[in-house]
Amino acid sequence: MTKKVAFWIFLLGTVSSAVLFLAATWDTHRQVAVLSNVDKLDDRVVAGKRAFEKYNCNDCHTILGFGAYYAPDLTRVTQRIGDDGIRFAVQQPEKAFANSWRKMPNLRVTEAETADMIAFFRWVNEVNNNDWPPQDSKKRLSRGEQAMVTSAGVSPGAAVFQTKGCMNCHSLHGTGGTFGPALDHVGRKMTMEQIEHYVQDPKSVNPKSQMPPQKELSARELEEVAKFLSSLK
Amino acid sequence: MEYRSQKIAYWYFAAALPLFALQILLGLYLAYSYTWTVPQSVVDVFPFATARAMHTNLLVLWMLLGFMGGTYYIVPEETKSEIYSEKLAWFQLFALLATGVAALVGFLLGWTQGRPLLEIPTPLDIVVVVGALVFLFNVAMTMIKANRWTAIQGTLLGGLVFLALLYLFGIPFYRNEVIDWYYWWWVIHLWVEGAWELVTAAIFAFVLMKLTGVERQVVEKWLYVEIGLFLFTGIAGTGHHYYWIGAPRYWLWVGGIFSALEPVPILLMLIDTMHHVKERQTKIVNPLTWTYAVGCAIYHMIGAGVWGFLHTLPQINYYTHGSQVTVSHGHLAFFGAYALLNLMTFYYAMPKIRGIEVYDDSRGKYGFWIMSVAMMLIGLFFGVAGVIQSYVERVMGMGYMTAQSYMRLWMGAVFFTGLTFLAGVLLTVTDLLTLRPAKVRA
Repeated sequence: MTKKVAFWIFLLGTVSSAVLFLAATWDTHRQVAVLSNVDKLDDRVVAGKRAFEKYNCNDCHTILGFGAYYAPDLTRVTQRIGDDGIRFAVQQPEKAFANSWRKMPNLRVTEAETADMIAFFRWVNEVNNNDWPPQDSKKRLSRGEQAMVTSAGVSPGAAVFQTKGCMNCHSLHGTGGTFGPALDHVGRKMTMEQIEHYVQDPKSVNPKSQMPPQKELSARELEEVAKFLSSLK
Repeated sequence: MEYRSQKIAYWYFAAALPLFALQILLGLYLAYSYTWTVPQSVVDVFPFATARAMHTNLLVLWMLLGFMGGTYYIVPEETKSEIYSEKLAWFQLFALLATGVAALVGFLLGWTQGRPLLEIPTPLDIVVVVGALVFLFNVAMTMIKANRWTAIQGTLLGGLVFLALLYLFGIPFYRNEVIDWYYWWWVIHLWVEGAWELVTAAIFAFVLMKLTGVERQVVEKWLYVEIGLFLFTGIAGTGHHYYWIGAPRYWLWVGGIFSALEPVPILLMLIDTMHHVKERQTKIVNPLTWTYAVGCAIYHMIGAGVWGFLHTLPQINYYTHGSQVTVSHGHLAFFGAYALLNLMTFYYAMPKIRGIEVYDDSRGKYGFWIMSVAMMLIGLFFGVAGVIQSYVERVMGMGYMTAQSYMRLWMGAVFFTGLTFLAGVLLTVTDLLTLRPAKVRA
C-alpha cells in the first residue's frame, strides 16, 4: 500500500460516512415532527424546558437516558408519579425525600415554573422513542408474571390477577379473599372495556365501592387482566 | 526544543495540570455523594449537579489546553518555522483560562445553560469561540506562511477546525428536546469520536515518529488509514446515541453497524504503535515517555474500543443506556484515549522545553502505574454497579433507589480507589512541574 492509496482510503471513508450521516439527518428532521408530536409542543412546554435547564436538573437526572445518573430518569416521570408527584418533589424535596438516603436540593422553583416543567414532562412522556426505558414500558409484564406465563402455562391476565394482590379481596372458585365479590362469572356482567375502566377508577362507576383504584398496573397488565376477567362467564 | 516559540506550550501544559488535579477532587465528591448521604442543608447550596458540571468542564478545559499546547509544540517543528504570533498565543491562553474560571465560579452561583457538559452560558460561549478563532488563525497562518505541508499538519489543522465548527451546534437553544439531543451529540460524540481522535492521531503520530525514528512516509501512511477509519466509523456511528431519543428506527441499524466497527481503527493504532516500537531506529532515552505511549495505545483500545463495543449494540444498550455502565465506559475511554495522550505529550515536550535531555522518572513511574491501575479498578467497579443497575432497575423493574442501594458498595469502592487515583495524579502533576535531570549513572 502506498501513501496515495492510504490517502484515498481516508477520503472515501470520510466522505461516504458523512454523506450517509447527513442524508439521515435530513430525513430525521422530516420524521421527528410525528415521532415527537410537534403539534403538542407549545410555548408552555418550551417554557418548561427552559426551567428544566435553568435549574440544571439534567446534571443529576437523565432524560431520554442522557445527563447525570445520580437521580431517576425523567423520560416517563409523568406516567410514573403523575403531575402532583412531580410538583411535590420539585417544590418540597426536603419532605418528599425526608426518608431517602439520597437528597434532592430545594432550588426554590416557582409555582409557575413547576407548572411549565410539568407540561414539558407530559410532552416528553409521549415521545415515541422505541419504548425506552424498559422499566416504564407499557408493553412490559413483570418478571414474576412472565415466569408464570412461560413456565406454568397461565394466561398473562391470570398471572397479573395472581401476582398483583387481586386475590386478597376477590375469589375464584372459592379460593381467595371475601372482602370483595367473587369474580367467577364477572364476564357475564361486564365487558372487557368496562372492567378496564372499573379497575382504574371504581368510584366513578359505583360511588360506594371500597376498592382502591389500581394505578400501578402497566397498560399491558391492565389490558391482560381485563381480557382474562371478561372471559369468565 | 528547536524553536523559541515552542516554549509557549509549556505554559499551556502547566495551566492544564492543576485543573486535572481539581477535576479529580470534584470526582471524589461525586463518588462520596453516591455512597453516603449528603445532608439536605449541604445539597441545597452545593448540589451534586454543580459538582458534576465542574468535574466534566474541568476535564474538557484541561484537555483542550493540552491539545492546544501540543499543537503549539508540534507546529514549529513540522513547519520548520516559528509560530505566527506568540502574542496571540498568550492572549488566547489567558482568554481560555479566564473563561474557565468565570464558568466554574458561575456554576457555583447557579449560572448555567443547564445542558450536561455544555453548561457554559452563551456569553462565555462567545469568548470561547473568539479564542478558538484566534487559535485557528494563529496555527493556520504559521502553516500557510511556512508552506511545508505534511499529513500530520493537515490532520492536526483539520481536526482543530472540525472541533471548533462542531462546538457551534451546542450554543443555540432548541425548542424540541429530541432535536436538542440530536445536535448535542454532534458536539459530544463527534468531538470524542471524530475531531479529538484526529488531533490525537496527529499528535500521537508526531511523538511516535520522533521517539522511534521510524520514517515519516510510513508513519503518515498509517495515519491516513487510521483517521479514514476513525471518521468512517465515527461519523455514522453517532447513530448509537439516537436509539432512544425519538429519532427514526433506522438509527438502530446505522448506529449498531457503524459503532460495532469503531474498535477497528483503535486496534490498528495499537498494532501500528507496537510495530513502530519494534522497528525503532533510535535508542530509548526516556523510558517513561515510551511507557506512556504504549500505555495510551493499549488503554485507548480497552476503554474506548472494548468497553464502547460492549454496550453499543441496541439489544444490550436498551438495558444499559443511561446507567453506570455508561459511566464505566466514559471513565476508561477518557483516561485511556485522552488523559494518557496528553500526559504522554507533556512528558515528551516539557523536559525538552526545559532543556533536560534525560529526566529523572523515579516519581513519574509510580504516578503512571498508580493512576493506570486505579482507573482500571474504578472502571471495573462502575461496571459492576452498572450491571447491577441494569438488571435490578431495568430488567426486574424494582425501582431506581432499590437498585442504587445494591450499588452502594461498589460506588464506595470507587471512592476509595479514587483516593488512590488522586495520589497518583498529585504525584504525576508535581513530577511534571518539577522535572529534574536524571542522575548520571556510571
